[in-house]
Amino acid sequence: MSQLYDLKMLIENKIKADGLDAMDVKGKIGLRSGRMLAFITPTTADDPEAVAKLKQAVKDVLHISA
Amino acid sequence: MKWNLIRTKVLAALTACLVVGVGGIVALMHYSFAHNSQALAVESVTGAQKLFTILEAREISKMTAVSETLIMNPQVRDAFAAKDRARVLELTAPLYPKLKSEGITNWMFHTPEPDMLVFLRLHNPKKFGDALNRFLDKEVVRTHAIVIGNELAKAGFAVRILRPFYDSRGGVTGYVELGEEIGQFIHAMKNQTGDDYGLLLSKKFVDRQFWADSSAMWKRRDNWDDNPSFVVADKTTASDNIIQFQEDLAAVPAHGRVLEYFQDGNSVFVRGLFPIYDAAGNTVGAMFVVRDISGFYLAMRHTQNVLVLLTVLSLTIGMVLVLTLFKRLVFQRLEHIIVVATRVVGGDYETEIRVSSDDEVGQFEQLFEQFRRVFVDLLAHVPEFQKKPELQEK
Repeated sequence: MSQLYDLKMLIENKIKADGLDAMDVKGKIGLRSGRMLAFITPTTADDPEAVAKLKQAVKDVLHISA
Repeated sequence: MKWNLIRTKVLAALTACLVVGVGGIVALMHYSFAHNSQALAVESVTGAQKLFTILEAREISKMTAVSETLIMNPQVRDAFAAKDRARVLELTAPLYPKLKSEGITNWMFHTPEPDMLVFLRLHNPKKFGDALNRFLDKEVVRTHAIVIGNELAKAGFAVRILRPFYDSRGGVTGYVELGEEIGQFIHAMKNQTGDDYGLLLSKKFVDRQFWADSSAMWKRRDNWDDNPSFVVADKTTASDNIIQFQEDLAAVPAHGRVLEYFQDGNSVFVRGLFPIYDAAGNTVGAMFVVRDISGFYLAMRHTQNVLVLLTVLSLTIGMVLVLTLFKRLVFQRLEHIIVVATRVVGGDYETEIRVSSDDEVGQFEQLFEQFRRVFVDLLAHVPEFQKKPELQEK
């Protein structure tokens, strides 16, 4: 599985665990990282720049280090 | 506070308007007060000068009438022609208290030239035989007609008339002089206007010893050292604070001079002075005028406070109204668009943007809603979405 997908799963788990508004959180992260999470699948190829942007977005929105 | 927000910028602009508005009102009121107090001071000085001239003319007229009556009295005429001092005193002494009560404090008979000695002083009968040699004396000898003017003498600073006295054949037997202390004018002026006055005499025309002697005679404090260039001969107020002038009285222009307004405790005053000339045209003194404008000042301050309060109140209400309008018409609707746009990216393809109006923001809402639908439609045609419905967020 790709790093991007792992990050997506991390986000999903955090949303479930904290009972957050999934659409709002995913939207904010998607806008910050420039990528819709819906398009990230287990087979999505890793792109170092995309991974870095997504990590930063996760940090900004969920305040957790990925 | 985030300075990049429109809300902050609008608030800052409105606050600046408030500060400028209040500052403007305070500055305007200050200018208005300074301007009006100056006008009041000018009016006080010119009014006092006119009143002084009127009083002086009235008293001169009175003294002229008295002297006219005196000249027409054959008993006085003959007694004076005979230089019978006791008889002249006997005839005129009963009249002097009445004239004195009317303000005529000086009354003298003079012998004719060339000596022109004091023959009789009704206000001081025991003293006679001295020569005064004043400007008025020389003028009446030169013209043999009535002469009028202010003269500073040992008896005080007075407005005087001096005229020839004739015998039954029309020959000049001497002169009669009547005078009124100018100092008493200021009390009449205060009664009429309510303003305070001070009579200043230039030290150049007053003998130091004479001033000390007259102060002792009138039982008043010797105030010679109070001011560098003048002495206060009389004043209508007990306070010495309000009579302050450092320059030479000779420098005061004929129409008077207005001085700066000043505060003394809770009172505000405007001040000025105008010159007083003697018969020779010398600036021997000045009349200091002080008007209490505390009432005007308080009214102006009250108006200023009301205006400031109204400005603050109206601008505060304006600020609340503008910010409320901005919030309802712009900020809330923009936030809604941001929320919907964010949710679309998050996978919510159902929530629509409400187009609440057809104003500028409404047109943007409509445009963004159309864009959202195109975007959702585009997503529906993405192969990954069609093949893997599980990718579609719920």
